[in-house]
Amino acid sequence: MHDAAIRVDNVHVNYPVQGSVSRRILNGIDLQIESGEFVSIVGQTGCGKSTLLRLILGEERPSGGRVLVNGCERAKPDRMCGYVPQKYSLFPDKTVLDNVTFGLEVSEFGAFSRFRPSHGKRMREFRAAALRYLEHTGFCEADSRKYPHQLSGGMQQRVAIAQALILKPPILLMDEAFSALDPGTRSGMQQLIKELWRQSGTTIVFVTHNTREAACLGTRIVALAKNGDEGSSVALDIAVPHLDFNSDEGEIRDLVGEVEYSTQSHMDHMHLRSVPIFT
Amino acid sequence: MKFLHIHEHPGRMTASVLSWLLFAVGIGSYFYVAQQRHLENPDERVMPTATQMVQSFADAALKPAADEEVSDGAAPLWVSITSSMLWKDSAATGRRFLISVLLLFPAVLLGLHMAMFPYIGALFLRFIQFFDKIVALSLLPILFIAFGIDELSKIMLIVVGVAPTIILDTFNLSKSVPHEQTVKALTLGAGDFAIAYRIVFRQILPRVLNSIRLNLKAVMLFLFAGEMIASSDGLAYRIALLRRHMGMDTIIPYVLWVALLLFVVDLAMHTLNRRLHPWFQET
Repeated sequence: MHDAAIRVDNVHVNYPVQGSVSRRILNGIDLQIESGEFVSIVGQTGCGKSTLLRLILGEERPSGGRVLVNGCERAKPDRMCGYVPQKYSLFPDKTVLDNVTFGLEVSEFGAFSRFRPSHGKRMREFRAAALRYLEHTGFCEADSRKYPHQLSGGMQQRVAIAQALILKPPILLMDEAFSALDPGTRSGMQQLIKELWRQSGTTIVFVTHNTREAACLGTRIVALAKNGDEGSSVALDIAVPHLDFNSDEGEIRDLVGEVEYSTQSHMDHMHLRSVPIFT
Repeated sequence: MKFLHIHEHPGRMTASVLSWLLFAVGIGSYFYVAQQRHLENPDERVMPTATQMVQSFADAALKPAADEEVSDGAAPLWVSITSSMLWKDSAATGRRFLISVLLLFPAVLLGLHMAMFPYIGALFLRFIQFFDKIVALSLLPILFIAFGIDELSKIMLIVVGVAPTIILDTFNLSKSVPHEQTVKALTLGAGDFAIAYRIVFRQILPRVLNSIRLNLKAVMLFLFAGEMIASSDGLAYRIALLRRHMGMDTIIPYVLWVALLLFVVDLAMHTLNRRLHPWFQET
């Protein structure tokens, strides 16, 4: 049996609610992601797509089942998976350049070993590498001395992507990475990430609630749907015909419609009870 | 009447006049009443006039202290300042103050580690929370019995009084750093100590310094309490001593001098904070 890049084996996740009562978030998720895929995970708010991402990241453990990355069970977040969350992924006290070199530096030098003689020379090499990555994501050298709070949201996410990619992680996990951006910036970022994915060959798992974004970005869409109190399960798992933002509008709309229908199909369990308010 | 309208803003001039108004009224009415009382009773001691206060302050700042050997009258200015009562009192108080503030640094580190490492947090948190509720001044007799009435007990009073606040504040500040930062640092290959010191500590440091600035008042409060009760020098000792002689002409300048010193320390820390952390956005 070969090792897939990511293997999710019959995973259940329960969260404690109060005392001994717990609520099931994910129910029997089976997923196999091959190296080099670009998988979009979609679903409605609260259906557990970010939980699934945190399982792959190693930040959370499943209540049942296994999550394997390159054949190893996840214990805690490490350099195997790069991570770009929606917010807070840049260190506010470091300049853009220091943010990008941080990973290279701590991977080679521990917290207290920066006084080694080779440190200065290696740092110069790291800075040069970081500048190349920043240039790739659309920065000039003057911008690299700014602090994160001086950048727009889109620029911050560009730095966050460079910061993660410079370590060449086998897998890149993105959690609603573009959801806080305005539409113009957002489509620019989508093109950028698709371009970077083609060049680097990294496996990307991209969580989003925007189905259209998922359809245009990924090579595969995994849709999660809530199933009442039993937790979410995979409602749809399809390969995406080669689409991008210039594709035929009708084709995109058909795919989006299909995915959105699947994420809602289990919603019949929720009844809208009419409660008399004015009595 | 514009006074009670939320939307009315005073102009620059008006705002400036208003902000100084109470100072002018306070100072003016003080000297008016003082003058009236001096006209009635030339030996008035409760409300000294400006001349008396300036004279006493100059004596305190320029003349050699009582226990100092009297040198010839032509000593250079610097020598007469450093042998004066005010200088010696300020130096004694300042030394205790400095030691106490330096002792708050381990408190900051403890708070950071409690927040970063759950085992350390579990060990210390409840204990520190308990200690935080103890009224430090009520410990004063215990401290005097345990440590004697010399320097150590006074410094311990300040540490016992302020350290729990600083520890808990640092703990909360460290906890409020978004979890994404820790996760991101882990995915970048950072180890536990690199995250604690290079990510979290550096981020909270400006806020910790602000928290220490806010607690300078508490430090001074405990320091003064200790000095007034058991000491033979220091600014608070002098104020308490002069109370017995009704020495208002020295007490009032001393109180203002203490306020000025505290203001300068606070301003210096604020400026340093700004210089060291240009990225810090005060909210």
